[in-house]
Amino acid sequence: MRATAFHLVPLLLALVVTPALAKKTAPEPEEEPASQEKVQSDISTRQISIQSNFTGAEILIFGSIDFSDSRTPGEGTYDVIAVVRGPNDPIVLRKKQRVAGIWVNGPSKTYGNVPGFYAVLSSRPVRAIASDETLKGLGIGLSDLDFGRHIADDTEEQAFRSAMIRLKEQKKLFQENDDGVKFIGRSLFRANVTLPVNVPTGRYTVDVYLFRDGAVASKSEGSLEVTKAGIEALIYRLAFKHPFIYGLLGVFLAVTMGLAGWYAFRRD
Amino acid sequence: MFQIYLPIAEISVNLVVMLGLGAAVGFLSGMFGVGGGFLLTPLLMLSGIPPAIAVATGANQIVASSVSGTMAHWRRGNVDLRMGVVLIAGGVVGAVVGVFLLKILREAGQAGLMISLTYVCFLGVIGALMLWESVNAMLRARAGKAVSARRSGQHNWIHGLPFKMRFPTSRLYISAIPPLVIGCVVGLLASFLGVGGGFVMVPAMIYLLRMPTNIVIGTAIFQIIFVTAIVTLLHATFNYTLDIVLAFVLVIGGVVGGQFGVRAGQKLRAEQLRALLALMVLGVAIRILLDLVIRPSDLYSIVPFAGS
Repeated sequence: MRATAFHLVPLLLALVVTPALAKKTAPEPEEEPASQEKVQSDISTRQISIQSNFTGAEILIFGSIDFSDSRTPGEGTYDVIAVVRGPNDPIVLRKKQRVAGIWVNGPSKTYGNVPGFYAVLSSRPVRAIASDETLKGLGIGLSDLDFGRHIADDTEEQAFRSAMIRLKEQKKLFQENDDGVKFIGRSLFRANVTLPVNVPTGRYTVDVYLFRDGAVASKSEGSLEVTKAGIEALIYRLAFKHPFIYGLLGVFLAVTMGLAGWYAFRRD
Repeated sequence: MFQIYLPIAEISVNLVVMLGLGAAVGFLSGMFGVGGGFLLTPLLMLSGIPPAIAVATGANQIVASSVSGTMAHWRRGNVDLRMGVVLIAGGVVGAVVGVFLLKILREAGQAGLMISLTYVCFLGVIGALMLWESVNAMLRARAGKAVSARRSGQHNWIHGLPFKMRFPTSRLYISAIPPLVIGCVVGLLASFLGVGGGFVMVPAMIYLLRMPTNIVIGTAIFQIIFVTAIVTLLHATFNYTLDIVLAFVLVIGGVVGGQFGVRAGQKLRAEQLRALLALMVLGVAIRILLDLVIRPSDLYSIVPFAGS
């Protein structure tokens, strides 16, 4: 039984994994108690580079359940929830209101701790997998995040909060997918996550939870790095570290191209 | 297809669309002899570029188009260097004020609104005045009367001001104060709206300073190079809002489009050109106004925390 599961891992790796990942070998489980199931997972890409042709990226989280007690794929003994979390940032949410017939930015609320990217993928709806307390304790699910702000029970706070989640969801920066984790065979699973074009840069954590009977049976942690690369990174660094030189470069380019344009099309 | 990632705006835009936008604005600016910023910046905002980045990047694009324009005028001796220097001196002051005004408004979350409102006011007034003037000129031309904006030798209140300077190229002997003030207003507009300000400066120089029209355009465009260059530099340094990749794409489109615009413009009569330009200016003003008045599809918006 166990042997089959382990033979599948390299097979899956060979199928889906980029060369960068080939270096990574699934860690050999040391002598573990045979009855204790354990989740192992990895990400198809550890490093995502934002370059000029960047339009978003797709990552694949895959893994297996070792020492699985499940005999058939559809048995439903196990559930898997994968949480991808980008770096936290403070944001300000503003609401427009009508002043003298014109829509202007009115009241605002600051949230000190909002993940730049947050995706929850699960094999079933998360509420069906575990109790609300369990989920809250693990920070799984948008409704259980506090975003670094004490959310009072008044309607305005709630309206702001749900508007913020809605806006982030529209930009695909917050995602919840009840059907995002697929089991392949008895103990393998995979989950696809799409990172949109406007993903923030930084370190992302990928936590994969294995649930059995509503409780976490095992957890596996991974991470990936989103960075600007190539000329994009160079421009970004220059613009924020040496803004004056960057501005001069902008003016210089414009003057040169203006002159070149005049010279190329001159008629005297 | 042809998507290009903008490192500062942090969005991906279509390269063909942005080249086309640069070319279209370049074409119109070549045709009408204006910088085109008043069209470019709102169009950039409408295509999803954050307002403050649209302003700084628009200013950078105008540097290129006004360099091309100045070269052509310079060779015909249509640039009043002395007047240009006075205008630039005023422009620097206005530019600095505008850049910091925008910085404050950005932190208060009102930059987009104030930029839009200022656009509506300026474009609305200038567009209406230009339309009025050009329609009258067309009617007079039809009636067979001579059309002349310059009434040389006539004196107005401008001539009573102190600090008089001689401007030989423009054949003027006037106070340095009006050009300084005009330059200052244009600098403010340039840094606040991402426009060259030609649409304000040209009428002011013709009607207030009574400069010869051919020298007005060459001198205005010469001054615009320096003011927009300073504005670009200031925005890049203090607001980090210049997207050089976007500017580069727009400049390429603009330089090519501008050349075709100049040729197209020579086939139209001056009054007709002004009337067309006036209609376009009014069109942009109405479009921006509608965005302010119509209930937005989402009342909420996320902005990055200013202190971060």
